[in-house]
Amino acid sequence: MSFGLPYRLVRTASFGLALLYATLLAASAVILGFIVYWNVQASIDRQMAARIDAEIEILKGKLQSEGSAELVREVEERINYFGALEYFLADADGKRLAGSLSNIPVTDGWSDIPVPDAGHSKDPKYFRVETVHLDNGFWLVVGDDLGPKEDIRRAFLGALGWALLAFLVLTLTAGALLSSAFLRRVDAIGRTAEAIINGNLHSRVPLRGTNDNFDRLSATLNRMLDQIQLLMESLSQVSNDIAHALRTPLGRLRQKLEAARANSGANSKCTMTIDAALDETDNILDTFSALLRIAQIESGTRTAGFREIDLSKLFETVSEAFSAVAEDEGKILTAKIAPSVKFWGDGDLISEMLANLLDNAIRHTPQGAQIEVTLVNHGSQLVASVADNGPGVPQSERERIFRRFYRLERSIGTSGTGLGLSLVAAVAELHGMQFRASDNAPGLRMTLTFDSVAPGAPRRPRLPGRRAIEHDTPHAAHEIACQHPQRAEVGLQG
Amino acid sequence: MRVLIIEDDTETADYVLDGLRRNGHIADRASDGRDGLMSAAGGDYDVIVVDRMLPGVDGLAIVKMIRSAGVKSAVLFLTARGGIDDRVEGLEAGGDDYLTKPFAFSELLARLNALARRPPLAPIETVLRVADLEMDLIAHRVKRNGTDIDLQPREFKLLEYLLRNAGRVVTRTMLLERVWEFHFEPKTKIVETHISRLRAKVGSGGQQQLIHTIRGVGYVIRPPL
Repeated sequence: MSFGLPYRLVRTASFGLALLYATLLAASAVILGFIVYWNVQASIDRQMAARIDAEIEILKGKLQSEGSAELVREVEERINYFGALEYFLADADGKRLAGSLSNIPVTDGWSDIPVPDAGHSKDPKYFRVETVHLDNGFWLVVGDDLGPKEDIRRAFLGALGWALLAFLVLTLTAGALLSSAFLRRVDAIGRTAEAIINGNLHSRVPLRGTNDNFDRLSATLNRMLDQIQLLMESLSQVSNDIAHALRTPLGRLRQKLEAARANSGANSKCTMTIDAALDETDNILDTFSALLRIAQIESGTRTAGFREIDLSKLFETVSEAFSAVAEDEGKILTAKIAPSVKFWGDGDLISEMLANLLDNAIRHTPQGAQIEVTLVNHGSQLVASVADNGPGVPQSERERIFRRFYRLERSIGTSGTGLGLSLVAAVAELHGMQFRASDNAPGLRMTLTFDSVAPGAPRRPRLPGRRAIEHDTPHAAHEIACQHPQRAEVGLQG
Repeated sequence: MRVLIIEDDTETADYVLDGLRRNGHIADRASDGRDGLMSAAGGDYDVIVVDRMLPGVDGLAIVKMIRSAGVKSAVLFLTARGGIDDRVEGLEAGGDDYLTKPFAFSELLARLNALARRPPLAPIETVLRVADLEMDLIAHRVKRNGTDIDLQPREFKLLEYLLRNAGRVVTRTMLLERVWEFHFEPKTKIVETHISRLRAKVGSGGQQQLIHTIRGVGYVIRPPL
């Protein structure tokens, strides 16, 4: 399953972390903002109340010292002050003496009252007013416009909102940038791991030389990979060394057996035993040779011997050589080979590869089996296959048949080194071919898929150019198994 | 024939010398590259057997020097390695054949025989003959006792190689290399199958068999004794 980059970005740990920080910081900013807001509001309320109280005290003082008429005059005068408060003065009967406020509450104390706006909007303005009952029976109402307070509230909340938005956008962008940088480096590690899984043991995580956490982690991973490569190389080195070291003594053993055979004279029983011993020695030597050959091919140095080869001719020669053998064994080998296909590679190795595939097909199918060799030219891509309608290989075993010395249970005891398909796989990889084993329903189909490369254009083996196993239904695999239950001597190995 | 063996491993050298002498050939040995070079330049050998890996001078270098010194002897390389690139390198250096160690003596002998009898400047043969079997290389026709034999192209090539080496044993490996250009050992009996087909065609109608199997070694085409 694959998701788009945005999805992957959001899923990264760094983005999650950025998101968490953003949320926490935004929450604390909001709390802080509201505490400030409440304090500002309370302070405005207090100032307003204090101003109104002070005004009322002044007017009360005016009444006491100078009388009712002077109070009325004072109120009227104050109305005209710049930035004045709102006033309303009425006598004991409620008759207006001064001031412009209407909707006056008749109870003493604080209240907020709506006042129709003079003309600007239909919405009423709100005033905070204090009503007092003066000693002479007058009603005095002093109020202040709540509008400025509302303006401050709006401005504050608006500012808070924008700030939050900007903050979130910034944090998330930073998080995304951070995460994509993070993703790039994680992807680099992932690609390296993929390459190694695909057999390119030399692949390493790129370092940026920044000595940051990632670089240090990558360096550690690279050291681990060095170690693994060393172990794997020494493992194959050991098997190659064994093969090498034993070839010389085995060669001498062979020479001595030959000498013994030459000297055995007329003793035919002795000669037969020596012949059998020679055969065994040759088998061991064959296995060692095959191991060393595979090792040499896998080392990839062989590309120096690449030439332009006539692949069609090569396929024809090999399939013709094998068709006679197949016929003698009661099997039918047919070839469908696209004409004049040129390829850049090692003709000897490709012949051997195809021979191994045909060899397997002939040896591990029952009498009357049909084997087909094809070479199809799709223009930029070439597909070669060897297919039979024999017992096939169960899906679960299909990957293992490429392993060295692996043999199907049913073919243990038949001749073969168990290295044939390993060699095929090694040659395929050297030439950047993809090698697959699949179900031919019934039988086995070996497919090689590769790019047709222009002659004179040598290139490195493609990566990943590995064999893949085609998965099919267990039902199909079961069918193959049931179709040839009588065959004991079938299987797949070199 | 006269054979020079340039080989540092005494055991292998003795084995080859012993075998050759027993078969009535003259064989000398040089144990390192310098000796080998001197002997090769001085002696009039039919074939020189050179180990690729020699102490001192490399086998390839020796052959290059021998060739530049104008020595016409045929050269067979012995290679001990996995031997993948060795064949091409050896042939490019001026070798005529190669054999991977360890080898059966019969294989070496068959190859030496084939090399030694190769005349440096033979008149171009257009008709090959053994007894009443006749191959016309120009008309691409094969006749036995005057009757045409219809052969597949590969069978023709196989018979041609046998005829060119008439009287000499050729091994399975030699046939695989020369007739099919297979430089590997198939597990199936390709040579056997094609030989038996060829035999059936050449020896049809109760005529005497010309192609003989030499057990454990290979095949030879020769007139009936």
